[in-house]
Amino acid sequence: MGRKGRFIVLRNRQKEIEAGIERYCEEVTTTIELLHSSLEQYICQPDREALRENLKTIHKAESRADDLRAEIEVLMYSKAIYPESRKDIMELLEMLDKIPNCAEGCIRMILTQHVVIPEEYGPEVMKLVGISGHAVRHVLEATRILFRNYTTATVAVGKVDELESDGDRVEAALIETLFSSRRDGFEKILLRDLFLHIGKIADRSENVGDRIRIIVAKRRI
Amino acid sequence: MVSLAGGLYLGWALGANDAANVFGTAVATRILRFRTATILCAGAVILGALLQGESGIRTLSSLSAQTQRTLAVVSFSAAFTVTLMIFLRLPISTSQAIVGAITGAGLATHSLAWGGLVKVVICWAIAPVGAMLIALIVYPLVTTFFRKVPMSMLLRDKLLWGGLVVVGCYGSYALGANNVANATGIFSGRLGDITDRQLAIMGGIAIAVGVLTFSRRMMLAVGKGVMPLEALTAFVAVLSMAVTVHALAMVGVPVSTSQAIIGAIFGVGLLRNRQNLRFGMLRNILIGWSLTPTVALILSAAGYAIFAG
Repeated sequence: MGRKGRFIVLRNRQKEIEAGIERYCEEVTTTIELLHSSLEQYICQPDREALRENLKTIHKAESRADDLRAEIEVLMYSKAIYPESRKDIMELLEMLDKIPNCAEGCIRMILTQHVVIPEEYGPEVMKLVGISGHAVRHVLEATRILFRNYTTATVAVGKVDELESDGDRVEAALIETLFSSRRDGFEKILLRDLFLHIGKIADRSENVGDRIRIIVAKRRI
Repeated sequence: MVSLAGGLYLGWALGANDAANVFGTAVATRILRFRTATILCAGAVILGALLQGESGIRTLSSLSAQTQRTLAVVSFSAAFTVTLMIFLRLPISTSQAIVGAITGAGLATHSLAWGGLVKVVICWAIAPVGAMLIALIVYPLVTTFFRKVPMSMLLRDKLLWGGLVVVGCYGSYALGANNVANATGIFSGRLGDITDRQLAIMGGIAIAVGVLTFSRRMMLAVGKGVMPLEALTAFVAVLSMAVTVHALAMVGVPVSTSQAIIGAIFGVGLLRNRQNLRFGMLRNILIGWSLTPTVALILSAAGYAIFAG
C-alpha cells in the first residue's frame, strides 16, 4: 500500500472511531430517555410487567453501547491511534459506560426489590431524573465536542457541575422528606437507595466531565 | 588505524547520548517504540553523514597539522574526556572534546589554525543562542495554529505527535551531517587512500551503532533535563535544534546538539513558564561547556609531551 493509501486508511480509521463514539453517545442517550419515560409511566401507574419490558429495552441499548465500546477499542488497538489518545479515549469510555449501567440499575432495583414510588414523591423523583438526564446530555455534548473542537469541550462540562449540584440538593431534600414521614423503616431504606441511585447518574456525569477536563488540560497550549 | 578506534568510540558515545535529543520525548511518551526510534535515528544519521558530513570533516582536519602519533593522542584524549564527563554525569559535547584535544595538540606542535578555531568557537555560541531564537519564533506560530484552528483531539494528537516523529528524523539527519566530523574528521587525508566520504560513512555508522546499542537510558531520562517536556515543547525544541545544527553543518562546524536543544527548550521556557526552568541544570551545562574542551586540551597537550614530543 502506498503512502497516500496508508494515510487514507489512517484517516478513515480516525473517522470510524469518531463515528463509533457518536453512535455510543446516541445509545447512552437512549438509555437515559428510556429511564425517564419508564419511571414517569411507573409513577403514574405502577405496572411491573410494563416496567419489565422497558428494562429489556434499556438492557438492549446498554448492550449495544457495550458492543460499540468493544468495537471502538478494537479499532484503537489497530495502531492508528497514538497510545496517549488511546488511553484517554478508553478511560473516557470506561467512565461513560457507568451511566447506562446506572440507568439500567435503577429500573432493576425497582423490579427486584419491589419498590413502589409513592405518588407524593413522584414530581420530585421526576425532577431528579430530569436533572440527571440533563447532566448526561451535557456531558455527551462535551464528549462530542472533544472530536470537533476539543479546546471548547470544558464549557459544556461547567454546566454538568451545576446540574450535579442541583441534583444533590433535590436528592437531599427527597431523603429528608422521606425520613420525616411516618412510612415503614424498611420502605424508607429502599426508597432512599433508589433516590441515591438516580442521583448517581449525575455524579457519574460529573466524573466523566472531570475526565474531559483532564483530557483538554493535557492538550492545552 | 589504532587511533581510528578512539574516533569511532567518540562516534559511538555521541550516538548513545545524542539520540535522546531527537527522539527522547517520542520514546518516553510511547509515541514511538524504542526500537523503531533507534532504527529511524540510525538510518537518518548515516544519511546525514553521507550527504552532508564532509564539510565538517574538512573543517576539523584543517584545524591543525597531524602526525600518526598526534592523531592517536588527540582521539584518545577526546575519548577519555567524553568518558570522564559521562562518569561525572555532566552533559557531554563530543564537538568540544575533539576540538579541545585538537587545540591542545595544535598548541604543542605550534600548528594551530587560529582562524578556524575562532570560527568553531563562535559557532558553539551560535548553536544554543540560534536554537533559542528559532524556538522563540516557532513556538508562537505553532501555538497560534493549534489555538485558532478548531480540530478533533485525535487530529491534534496525530499532527503534533506525528510531527514529533518527522522532526526527530530531521534532527537525526542534522546530527549525522553535523557531528560525524567529531568521530572521523581528524583522519581526513591521513589514513592512506580513505576518502572523506568513506570517513563520513564510517563515522555515521559508529554514531548509528551508539544509537542502536546504548541510547535507551538517555532516551528514557528525557524530561529530567532543563525543564519537563511535553509533545509541543519537544516538537518546537527538536525542530529548532535540527534547523540550527543543520545550518551549522552546511557551514562546516560541528556543534553540540545537546547544547542546541537546551537553548531551544530554554527559549520555549521563557515564553511558557519561567518557573519551570531548572537553572541548576543550566549551571551543569555551563560547567560541562567550559570543562570539556579544557580537560581535552590539557590531556592532549600533556599526551603530546609524553608520547609524541
